[in-house]
Amino acid sequence: MTWELFAVFLGSSIRLATPLLLAGIGEMVSERAGVLNMSIEGMMLTAAFAAAVGSWATGDPMLGLLIGIIAVQPIALLQAVLSNTLRANQIVSGIGINILVLGATTLAYREIFGARSRAEIPGLAKIKPPLLGDIPVIGSAVFEQVWLLYAGIALIVATALVLRYTSIGIAIQAAGAEPKAVDKSGLSVTRIRYGCVLFAGFMASLSGAFLSIGDIHTFTEGMTRGAGYLAIASVIFGKWRIGGTVFASLLFGAATALQFQLPALGIAVPNALLIMLPYLLALLAVGGLVGRQLAPATLGEPYRR
Amino acid sequence: MNMASAPAEIVAEPLLSLSAITKRFGNFTALSDVSLDIRPGEIHCILGENGAGKSTLCNLIFGVHRPDGGSMRYRGASFQPSGPADSLAQGIAMVHQHFSLVPDMSVVDNVLLGRQRGLLNRAECARQLEKLAVDYGLPLDPFAKIEDLSVGERQRVEIVKCLIRDPSLFVLDEPTAVLLPDEIAALLDVCHRVASSGRAVVLVTHKLAEIKKIADRVTVLRGGRVVATSDKPAAEIDALVRAMIQGNVDTLDQSAASILGLEPVKHIGHGTENDNTPKTKVEALQIDGLTVRDYQGVTRLDNFTLTVDRGEIVGVAGVEGNGQSELTAVLAGMMTPSEGKIYLGDINLTAKSPKEITAAGVGIVPEDRHAVGCVTGMSLAENIYLNRLDEFTRFGFLQRSALEREAAALMQRFDVRARGPGALFSSLSGGNQQKAVLAREITLPNLTCLVAAQPTRGLDVGAVAAVYSHIRAACERGVAILLVSSELDELLTVADRIVVLYRGRIMGSCVADPDRREAIGAMMAGQPQ
Repeated sequence: MTWELFAVFLGSSIRLATPLLLAGIGEMVSERAGVLNMSIEGMMLTAAFAAAVGSWATGDPMLGLLIGIIAVQPIALLQAVLSNTLRANQIVSGIGINILVLGATTLAYREIFGARSRAEIPGLAKIKPPLLGDIPVIGSAVFEQVWLLYAGIALIVATALVLRYTSIGIAIQAAGAEPKAVDKSGLSVTRIRYGCVLFAGFMASLSGAFLSIGDIHTFTEGMTRGAGYLAIASVIFGKWRIGGTVFASLLFGAATALQFQLPALGIAVPNALLIMLPYLLALLAVGGLVGRQLAPATLGEPYRR
Repeated sequence: MNMASAPAEIVAEPLLSLSAITKRFGNFTALSDVSLDIRPGEIHCILGENGAGKSTLCNLIFGVHRPDGGSMRYRGASFQPSGPADSLAQGIAMVHQHFSLVPDMSVVDNVLLGRQRGLLNRAECARQLEKLAVDYGLPLDPFAKIEDLSVGERQRVEIVKCLIRDPSLFVLDEPTAVLLPDEIAALLDVCHRVASSGRAVVLVTHKLAEIKKIADRVTVLRGGRVVATSDKPAAEIDALVRAMIQGNVDTLDQSAASILGLEPVKHIGHGTENDNTPKTKVEALQIDGLTVRDYQGVTRLDNFTLTVDRGEIVGVAGVEGNGQSELTAVLAGMMTPSEGKIYLGDINLTAKSPKEITAAGVGIVPEDRHAVGCVTGMSLAENIYLNRLDEFTRFGFLQRSALEREAAALMQRFDVRARGPGALFSSLSGGNQQKAVLAREITLPNLTCLVAAQPTRGLDVGAVAAVYSHIRAACERGVAILLVSSELDELLTVADRIVVLYRGRIMGSCVADPDRREAIGAMMAGQPQ
């Protein structure tokens, strides 16, 4: 493999990992607080659609991104109400939301775009960081990315610091591991969990917007194609740690990137097999390579005083 | 408002006063017309049996529940906490019956939870912890993870969590249930120090020894009502107990009385009573080198070897979590041992299924009766014959009338009180559920061995006495009995011989003699004798 090809592979791995990374970190925070958001997939799809429509209608991708973020919050709020206040089964309610969103976005897409499908949509700009981007060969191939990725990295670092060094951080961890302790210390478990679900929604909306107006500048029906579920898998694979989740996202991203790289190298592997690869990895991860005992103790269980 | 009154009067006023408090859960009245005063500088004990409303009372004070009637006054002002946050802000701190600590966080983080906003200052908190350690004699490593601490140390974390808030009112809900004897002494010492600095301590307990030692005043609850109060509890202890259990202490089953600490424990185990009919030693249960390693490779039970003869009661003592659960789970066939053998007479029961073990004549009264001992959504009759339902089927159909007839007979024999054999099991009280489980296991047709784990947990005095007499009766019939309990008094009362488990090993064994209490306590703490 030549260096150029490797650099392209690295660059596209990062690009393909970005949605998983963004959504995965949000999901990790929510799961640490004890709420499992199966609806991350639906939230991403909503954001992808709303950001695309917003960007196309206003001509400004920044406004599109903003519209995407705003559009997801009601869904996140719905999930939060279902899983905390109404104490619904979190898996069933999440999947319900996903199916609803798939139908709603498909219908709305056909209504709005109709015959004009594949319309060119203004997308978010790419940036090249000053020093890294000037490295020969790999500079632009690896580091010239949509600015949302760099914003996301900053958000992830901030999240790590908040979890480690602030009172909110230990309250989030305690809400998932021992909610009674949170309640008895005078904090509100419900409020913490609502906040975390809304944060997961925010991160998922960045992720969804990246898919449509960051990566390919268009919207297609059901375009998330399970990326939300992969994000959940990367949280499990990453053992509910920031570093682990980032690593798992990159691994899944690289597995996806192989689809485009192997044919370019002239290695004849059926494409369908390669498309399966990240999902196969996720299956192995969730199916037992990672110990279950590492999950937050009350993950998926609504809190009852 | 009372706020305007003179300072001298405020000092004389109680710190907290409850008047005519009533609390209902659905149509069950947990507290009814409860009035009491807590004065600054006193240790006020709340005494009562299980279900008397003690925990409910604490939860009302701490703001977890809100009263349905009556009012509370705190520091001379009306007090209506809407949640723990309100009570904490007012200087009320509480140690709950069950620990609420985050296992994978450090001591410091657990203490800081809910106390600090924004950035955490762990170093400052560690310094405060060290100061408390000196002031109250509560040594702790601030940066140790909770999951690495012993039960006693976790209790210390719970106490430190409260003390660091410098509370005016310190509520402890049955804090000594899981502690070793010298840890209990240390805890009572902390209560003393808190009270002597002018703050008030509310201590909920059903152990009379503690009340004798420490209480300034006692309020006795029974059935959600205040039935007695005393300003001189040590002198009036008998009257208080009588009020608590509503009966004459003298007629109380002796073993149950000794559990309460009413009188010096006398050994009334089976062996000393029946000296005129010497038993021939017949080994029933043989456990040889039993070892259990969990999925992480941690050894939970380490080379456990024990023989229980027919007609003998062997007690397994130890602080909870030292391998008892694994031992009973393996004996019940719910867990596969990593090494070792189990024999019942000549029958090898190692790693057999629960069905085979039952068929061999081993009765199991499990530790957690709700999870594995019964099916709460089925009727009492179905539960009481759960392991023998086959005997009540004809052509594959369950003969309910026969089942309920037989069950009614068992209910009478074991004094299981319920609406009838068809009553839903979950509608029974804890004591009656336990009696039903015991009835099922003890009436196994070929019972040769009974394994009973924590058989009296959560039961009131009457039920405890009944459970003991059934266990003893089975022993008289020549059943080998293995009694696992974290209550040392229970073992000293009922067992012939005691082995002590510590971190999965047998630390030592001795005859069940109350004079050996200190030695057993030391073994429970991991010191070989």
